[in-house]
Amino acid sequence: MTTTVTPPETTPAKESKRPRLPKSARAGGTLHGGPIAYAILIVFTIVSLFPLVWTAIAASRDNQRLAQNPPPFWFGSNLFKNLEIAWEDANLGEAFLNTTIVAGISAVTIVVLSTIAGFAFAKLRFKGRNALMLIVIGTMMVPPQLSIIPLYMMVAKLDWSDQLQAVIFPSLVSAFGVFFMRQYLLQALPDEVIEAARVDGASSWRVIWHVVFPAARPAMAVLGMLMFVQTWNDFLWPFLVLTQTGSPTVQVAVAGLGRGYTPDQSLIMAGALLGTLPLLLVFTIFGKQIVGGIMQGAVKG
Amino acid sequence: MRARTLPLSRQRSGGGKPIARKALAIAAVVSLGTGLLAGCADDGGSDGDGSSSDSEGKTKITMGLFGTFGYEEAGLYAEYEKLNPDIKIEQTVVERNENYYPALLNHLTTNSGLMDVQAIEIANIAEVVGTQADKFVDMSKAEGVDKKNWLEWKWEQATTKDGQTVGLGTDVGPMAICYRKDLFEKAGLPTDRAEVGKLWAGDWNKFIETGEKYKKKAGDDTFFMDSPGGLLNAVLSSEKEKFYDASGEVIYKSNPAVKAAFDLTAEAAEKGLVQSQTQFQPAWDTTIANSKFATVACPPWMLGTIKAKSQPDAAGKWDVAVAPKSGNWGGSFLGVPKSGKNVEEAQKLVAWLTAPEQQAKLFKVQGSFPSTPGAYDSPEVTGAKNEMTGDSPIGEIFSEAAKQIPVQVIGPKDQIIQQGLTDNGVILVTKGKSAKEAWETATKTIDNNLDK
Amino acid sequence: MATRHDTAALPSKGGAAPGRPSKGSAPMDKDQRRRAKLSRRWQRDMRWSPYAFVSPFFLLFIAFGLFPLLYTGWASLHQVELTAPTDMSWVGLKNYTRIFDDEFFWNAAQNTLTIGIIATVPQLLIAMGIAHILNYKLRASTFYRVAMLAPYATSIASASLVFVLLFGYDYGMINWALDFVGIDPVDWQGEKWPSQFAVSSIIIWRWTGYNALIYLAAMQAIPQDLYESAALDGASRWKQFIHVTLPSLRPTILFTVVVSTIGASQVFGEPLLFDANKGASGGAEHQFQTLGLYLYEQGWVNQHLGRASAIAWTMFAILIVIGIINQLISRRLRASS
Repeated sequence: MTTTVTPPETTPAKESKRPRLPKSARAGGTLHGGPIAYAILIVFTIVSLFPLVWTAIAASRDNQRLAQNPPPFWFGSNLFKNLEIAWEDANLGEAFLNTTIVAGISAVTIVVLSTIAGFAFAKLRFKGRNALMLIVIGTMMVPPQLSIIPLYMMVAKLDWSDQLQAVIFPSLVSAFGVFFMRQYLLQALPDEVIEAARVDGASSWRVIWHVVFPAARPAMAVLGMLMFVQTWNDFLWPFLVLTQTGSPTVQVAVAGLGRGYTPDQSLIMAGALLGTLPLLLVFTIFGKQIVGGIMQGAVKG
Repeated sequence: MRARTLPLSRQRSGGGKPIARKALAIAAVVSLGTGLLAGCADDGGSDGDGSSSDSEGKTKITMGLFGTFGYEEAGLYAEYEKLNPDIKIEQTVVERNENYYPALLNHLTTNSGLMDVQAIEIANIAEVVGTQADKFVDMSKAEGVDKKNWLEWKWEQATTKDGQTVGLGTDVGPMAICYRKDLFEKAGLPTDRAEVGKLWAGDWNKFIETGEKYKKKAGDDTFFMDSPGGLLNAVLSSEKEKFYDASGEVIYKSNPAVKAAFDLTAEAAEKGLVQSQTQFQPAWDTTIANSKFATVACPPWMLGTIKAKSQPDAAGKWDVAVAPKSGNWGGSFLGVPKSGKNVEEAQKLVAWLTAPEQQAKLFKVQGSFPSTPGAYDSPEVTGAKNEMTGDSPIGEIFSEAAKQIPVQVIGPKDQIIQQGLTDNGVILVTKGKSAKEAWETATKTIDNNLDK
Repeated sequence: MATRHDTAALPSKGGAAPGRPSKGSAPMDKDQRRRAKLSRRWQRDMRWSPYAFVSPFFLLFIAFGLFPLLYTGWASLHQVELTAPTDMSWVGLKNYTRIFDDEFFWNAAQNTLTIGIIATVPQLLIAMGIAHILNYKLRASTFYRVAMLAPYATSIASASLVFVLLFGYDYGMINWALDFVGIDPVDWQGEKWPSQFAVSSIIIWRWTGYNALIYLAAMQAIPQDLYESAALDGASRWKQFIHVTLPSLRPTILFTVVVSTIGASQVFGEPLLFDANKGASGGAEHQFQTLGLYLYEQGWVNQHLGRASAIAWTMFAILIVIGIINQLISRRLRASS
């Protein structure tokens, strides 16, 4: 496969001739949002964040207060104490590291593979394309709850129990990602741009690197975010697979909080909060990528 | 403290199985995280003791538990490690048995991912005994284990027909009735625990009658009992046979005791004696906090729940009376899977953890009541008090109840049947459905759920 | 659809002026050979690269997705229990035929349909509107984008607690608000339509921001000059949205519709967490049990792998039928227009 990466020697694509998107394909609207737009966004933001804020409020209280009515609407004094206990009790430091590895590898791999496959399905012609695409969509229809049992039988046979790869590999099968990228590239990548690259003698791999990736950047950031969160929050499968490890993934570690016949709700909420906060950080990083849009990407080469 | 190993650091590179290597090759092509993955190709588990001893040569025993144990909190691991300097105990706990048990089943059926010790809840023990016994070692033959130490029924529950004991009993849940002295007084009922016990001694119908008396005075402000599910469970657990007969046949629909318990609960619901609540749900929690009911069927651990959800001013307002008939609610077992890495050491640990002395210590810290009568005379039990019940000698009351628990026939699908009767049955009566409709909905649901 | 890129011109000497085989000068053997070689490589690239590009997905699927699929297919023809997943006894099509008079299945199918409609349609409409607003130039736009996705990241445990609080009968905030305007309290968990509405609202809450971001990413790729020329033609913002944004987003809208439909058919987390009981029966009278939840109940709670597998495959078949019908209708519509 590596041979196809090498561009034809005779055509060192000059910088000036690099395929470029129309200048007008600039990201983001030029229209400024009015007060109504802000009002809608603020309402939407409050609704979206409310449960998270309430989680923090609950984490700052104790069991007795949480059982009361009306429920607390403002922060109590136990937040940092509960966060600390949750952090140590669930050994979240290691769990964060493990989960970051799992979710990071999954997200990056899915994004790269999906972009490449999505490009092929959207813009290249080959025999069986439509049939293969239907198969991809078909795999999404398999209810995941059920696949877990045979999948675990496989992992047991492979002797992969308790190893991170048992969580990573099955998560890489992402028909969603392929379909998502195909639909995005159908729209976002004008055929002329690819043709211009072809005319310059770029091989398919070169087209992917210099044309597809830059054009797909906003979608890649969105897909990366979604996949990262999905893997990060996955519970059932990692719980089944990572049994012996002290602190396997965040969701599994947090599920051990609040033991005893009367679980401590505020501690559970503190764990839930700790499990979510890093995601918001990731969003902020990826979120910036979407703002940039495709133009910057296309200039880069 | 728990010592933990980061999974990645444990894994050695190279020498993986062919399929793993192939998969790894794919990963190398596709993944930017290749460097991180390279170490994952081998499992450390197939070559015996490799991963079960740490660098100091100690034997590591892993415990797989769900919510209710508290060995670590009670300091029992530390004590055992002190007694046995070569041993290191590591536990993995998940809060909910609903998550724990299906995973355990998957691990048992594939013989992988099992820990040295696995806990089993009473709701699942019949199924484990019936279908997974060959995966466990026979604990009756373990060193220092004497059958006579345990309550007979507790031992029998974990023992197969041909005499293999799958797990050793940890705690039991002898049931009494916890009641609010202040609410009883307001309703003109006696408050002394002996007199209260006499109100309904030996007959659940009398319990309902008491409820009617209560309601006449108390009106609609509070309810007599916390939930229909709690009542149904209490009545059923005092029966010798409920859903299965001794031969293992499902008899829940034809057993008059089940129908009687259902009808009695439905009657209580129709008369407005029980709240329209499901136990352990947030809304039910709030009814504890707001002092909305006067009685609850009460194994020792329920006092912990009450304490955790109550306002501070409720302390000392509760007391514990004998239930109309004794029954058991809850309890667990510890089993040792054959495929574990340290079977013998694990057996020794389990025997020690479930011995009367340790069970007594655990009761003091965790409120889980011993399944070994030998512990009932220990000062930890006889002198037990609870913040919610003031000076009441709860240890004595529960010990007495424990000794009178009938040997009940349990079956693999008890939980599904009981859940159907509760959540798809009597709860509907509290919402205005007739007892007949509720019974039909429940049985239809249960039959569908049982049908393979 | 896409143009044929494999017919694009071959590379030639002096790539700056491509597309024309060099004529005029005397053909040189060496050059020709090299060009032939390049051309072969080019053809190989054109012919096989697409397969190379899509192969990782299929290899991964064969490695980790195929066995579960085959297993469930095989299991659906057997009586199998979770307590012994390799111990199967053949029952033929019984697990399928019983579905015909399994009232719980059809109840769940109905609920899935109604919850699916109540949840998906508003969700996609709101998502489109929000994405449109987010596409404006805004202060602190990253903040809104992060906030949009917060529901998707919030753990089920916290979300469940919050929604149970909101929809509680005695003390719930929604009933409190209703009481304020003189409406009797609603039993959000016990009654059929209120419970379905409540479950749908959790779905809408969780997935709207998710879809909004997908739309937003696609909006970013709409060339600005389309808007500019529309503006020159005097199109209002609304007209621009209808005539520029929506048509450009067609592939992405199709994507979200397909994914949401599949997702709606598999909904199980939200009704599971909304159940006041501990089971997976979707309410005391199964009033909001979806097919996904029913499948979960049969497979994980009741441990009947054979039955659950048959349910899964039946769901699959229903989706395919829906897909075909959809295809036929849209083809007819296109033909008639």
